[in-house]
Amino acid sequence: MTMVEGLLQALVDGLTIGIVYVLLAAGLSVIFGVMNVINFAHGELFALGAYFALALVGPFGGYGFFAALLVAPLLVGLIGVGIERYTVQPLYGRNPLYHILLTFGLVLVINDLIYLVWGPGNVSLAVPAVLSGTVTAFGLNASVYNLFIIAFGAAMALAVWALLEYTKYGLIVRAGSQDRQMVRNLGIDIDRYYSLVFGVGAALAAVAGIILGGYQTVSPEMGMSVIIPAFVIVVLGGLGSFKGAVVGGLAVGIIQTLLRTYAPILEGMVIFLLMIAVLLVRPHGLFGSEAPEGEGGGDLLTGSGGVLEAETRRRLGLAAVGLLALVPLGAGTLYSTYAVTLMVEILIWGLFALSLDFVMGYTGLVSLGHALFYALGAYAVAISLAHVGGSAFVAIGLAILLSAAIAWFVGYLSIRVSGVYFAMITLAFAELFYNLLFRLEITGGSEGLFGLSAYYGLAGVGISLEEIAIFVGPVALTGQSLFYYIALATLVGAFLLTRRMLESPFGAVLKSIRENEQRATFVGYETTVYKRRAFVISGALAGLAGGLFTLNAGYATPSFAYWLHSGEVIVMVILGGMGTLYGPIIGSGVFFGLEEVLTEFTERWRLVLGTVFVLFVIFLPQGLVSLPAQLEPYLGGSGPGPEPEPEPEPTPEDSSVRGDD
Amino acid sequence: MSRDGTCQGSRRRLLKAITAGSVGGLVGVAGCVGDPEQAGADDNDGEFDTVQFGVLEPFNGEFSELAKERHQGTELAIEQINESDEYEFTIEYEEYDTQLDPATATQRAEQAVQSDGAQFITGCISSSSALAINDFALENEVVYTPGAADVSITGSECNEYVFRFETNTAQIAEAMAQWTADELGDRIFYHIADYAYGDSVLEEVETRMESISDSYERVDVTRSDPGSTDFEAFISQISNASDEADALVVGMTGADLAIFLSQASARGLQDEIPIVTTTASFRAVRAGAGEGAYDVYSGVRYVPSIETGDNGAFVDAYQNEYDDVPDNFSRVGYESIRMVANGIREAGSNDPTTVRETLSGMEHDTIFGPNEFRECDQQAVNPVWMGECVEPDEGELADVELLTDLSGEEAIPDCEETGCDL
Repeated sequence: MTMVEGLLQALVDGLTIGIVYVLLAAGLSVIFGVMNVINFAHGELFALGAYFALALVGPFGGYGFFAALLVAPLLVGLIGVGIERYTVQPLYGRNPLYHILLTFGLVLVINDLIYLVWGPGNVSLAVPAVLSGTVTAFGLNASVYNLFIIAFGAAMALAVWALLEYTKYGLIVRAGSQDRQMVRNLGIDIDRYYSLVFGVGAALAAVAGIILGGYQTVSPEMGMSVIIPAFVIVVLGGLGSFKGAVVGGLAVGIIQTLLRTYAPILEGMVIFLLMIAVLLVRPHGLFGSEAPEGEGGGDLLTGSGGVLEAETRRRLGLAAVGLLALVPLGAGTLYSTYAVTLMVEILIWGLFALSLDFVMGYTGLVSLGHALFYALGAYAVAISLAHVGGSAFVAIGLAILLSAAIAWFVGYLSIRVSGVYFAMITLAFAELFYNLLFRLEITGGSEGLFGLSAYYGLAGVGISLEEIAIFVGPVALTGQSLFYYIALATLVGAFLLTRRMLESPFGAVLKSIRENEQRATFVGYETTVYKRRAFVISGALAGLAGGLFTLNAGYATPSFAYWLHSGEVIVMVILGGMGTLYGPIIGSGVFFGLEEVLTEFTERWRLVLGTVFVLFVIFLPQGLVSLPAQLEPYLGGSGPGPEPEPEPEPTPEDSSVRGDD
Repeated sequence: MSRDGTCQGSRRRLLKAITAGSVGGLVGVAGCVGDPEQAGADDNDGEFDTVQFGVLEPFNGEFSELAKERHQGTELAIEQINESDEYEFTIEYEEYDTQLDPATATQRAEQAVQSDGAQFITGCISSSSALAINDFALENEVVYTPGAADVSITGSECNEYVFRFETNTAQIAEAMAQWTADELGDRIFYHIADYAYGDSVLEEVETRMESISDSYERVDVTRSDPGSTDFEAFISQISNASDEADALVVGMTGADLAIFLSQASARGLQDEIPIVTTTASFRAVRAGAGEGAYDVYSGVRYVPSIETGDNGAFVDAYQNEYDDVPDNFSRVGYESIRMVANGIREAGSNDPTTVRETLSGMEHDTIFGPNEFRECDQQAVNPVWMGECVEPDEGELADVELLTDLSGEEAIPDCEETGCDL
């Protein structure tokens, strides 16, 4: 095969997957452009399409496939309309951040429903005999089904383009994605069009799911595997741009395929490198509109614990820490020692959530790649314990330094873009790191590093937690319980440190950036510098959290950097209430507590957890910390809040502030 | 240090006490430093009615189907043991969802041991979760029977608390390499998933091919990321080289393998070059690949049709219980429990440390006939087969036809080669 033939073959191979990307990204992009919804559930709608098709192909045989291509997208479209009506609609006008929590919940719900109805495992979706076999021409070899994907996918994309370009409906949608307010001012009730846009986007995802299902296999995980590439393509092409989705989808498909042949080492990383490169040159993607996000900022509802007086709050905080300090004393007698293990997890993730809140709640920067710093800290500790020596202090010191340095670098490149683009660029850095972990020798590849132990001291002098016990009356505190105090002390220390920072002039600038970045700039502050500093502090704290985990658990694996963990920590922050330092800690406790309780009761716990998230984001958007204020009218007076451990914290006067616009 | 935990003076302990005192100071209570051995003395008098098992499986995520299959085998064994008069104890168990994440797996293992008092743990399909639990088992001194095939679990990362009934990649590679060299030839093209499993397939098959044949040639290697769903580019490359290679050895499993086979067959790759895999015989893979699995060769760890040991009785009981035939992971779950239970009975103790001493090298009657967790690495000496997935008489799911077999002793690597030193 000649070089030219090789390139042509790669082109055909790449077009096949590229056209599927186009269908997936088009729906996602238009939904974002028009409604500002970051729809993580798009991948699940895609999977749902494939499963509906499977159900239809079963009884009707091979040709049921063609019927499925028509019926399944309609069904999924209807579900899309339902989702928009009942869950997305109540959130319009709020920051897109809330859609992350909402659609994250929907992912859990839909995915668990798929498990419930169709069970686990890969199933092959039979395609009709007329679409099987291969075609060989001009030295190229392609399967008939691949050619069908290219032809059918292209026709679908063309149809959508025509719909957007030549119908009145399309005109309004396009106008809406450029300037929603203007469309409203013209007297068009654009909100009515939202359901339809969402439905069509869902149906497109379903079509992609069906044709890809015939090409790969159908499994409950298929949605999870496409959602990140789909997002990357949307951002690459420019949010809301149909042309961008087409160009991005095809380009990514073809480039990926070419690299597999000619530079396989880059395969998993290329789309992220591509996205970072494009965003650095064109901060709004290839075809994104240059217009500022405008109302894209939306309302960012930070929590306020306003009902309690400062002194009460200080006392409550002290009481909470005091109570926490007592936890290990009852372990093994009042309750099992597992309580301590669980609390250590909560404290570490509480620190992780606190670190994210420091940038998210105080400067409005939503990092979707915070797992990067957590994993960096964990690996820094692991590598230090394995190669530098067993000192926990050295290891943690390295973890903080390394995370801070990388956070500076990531911040330097990322902070120039804002909003969703910032979220995506941080995600890209995290995914790059995740990929690197698999490839590097020093990180132990896909298996990670195991069997590490540390002593608490320096230069070979110190103690190992496994070798000592502290006797407090009748209770013996050993390994895990001792570590609990280290984790608790670190969390309290980090809390006090960040609180001090926020009370300083530096903190005042951060808050002013959150309230109105433009005004902060007018006053003369170089906001980028302040944001970057906050990001470095946040990264360092996240690294500290990851480092603590590895110090305790004795291992590090690539899964620490997986994007789902970045999503989970955002969920914790919003759950607890962002913009308050103690909210995220409560969020972490509730997250793990719920998971713990639910897994006891049902195998399908994710269904319940997802539902809780959805209800939560609709009815209690300011997080758990706002519960006292919410309940105040019913309780009367300012008694102690019903929620545990609100700690002293300076809060903004206004509980509802605008994001950067 | 006296047994009642009072502090006795010694300069070294004083230093320790000062350092630890700063930790204790957090509690606001002056602590007294001692030896943790005194903290929780195990009271084990040899009398016991129950043993507690923790079953850790990835019930959610990519391996959930295998987890379900394995769990059914586990539950069947527990039910049989609890009903049998041969065992004077009953097994109680809790199941935990590890979600394919090593951190969650250890968290659940801690829950099993600390909260529910498990002395024996079993499960985990993915190698990185299993490796995390390997460590955990040693630290917590509980017996662990993993479900992952990674060589290092009973190799370089082995420890005295881990016993594996799952057949590992080295054992399967032995059968694959011998059969491939004999029947297909020694010019091999490899396609592997770019992570520990794929690398170990490449390494294990290659070292065996090199020792079998002097003219062995590695034509090329292509690598896809784990979790890939699009293999067109690799299939084109393999297809181009098909004239120069005698066989394609694929080092992937699960969804990766199913999707690869299905895309390969759409391109007619099976007609161009024989495809030899490690796990296409798994029902989960055959179901995912559909017609793509036809005419694909595979190393076989287990199929229900084999007539060894009491496999017939196992298959019957399994079908009665679940109305379904067992597959590889069902028998791993089943026999892992039975062998550990035999060890508990033989040791006359439910203390994991006593049991593991008994279990190492102990003879068992298994579904594979007489078997043991051999002393040097505590890996079960399982027989292996070479098979071919063929088009079935009815339905779409490929049948597995066995081509050759290799006894447990022939398939397992020598003790010196395992990297494990027990």
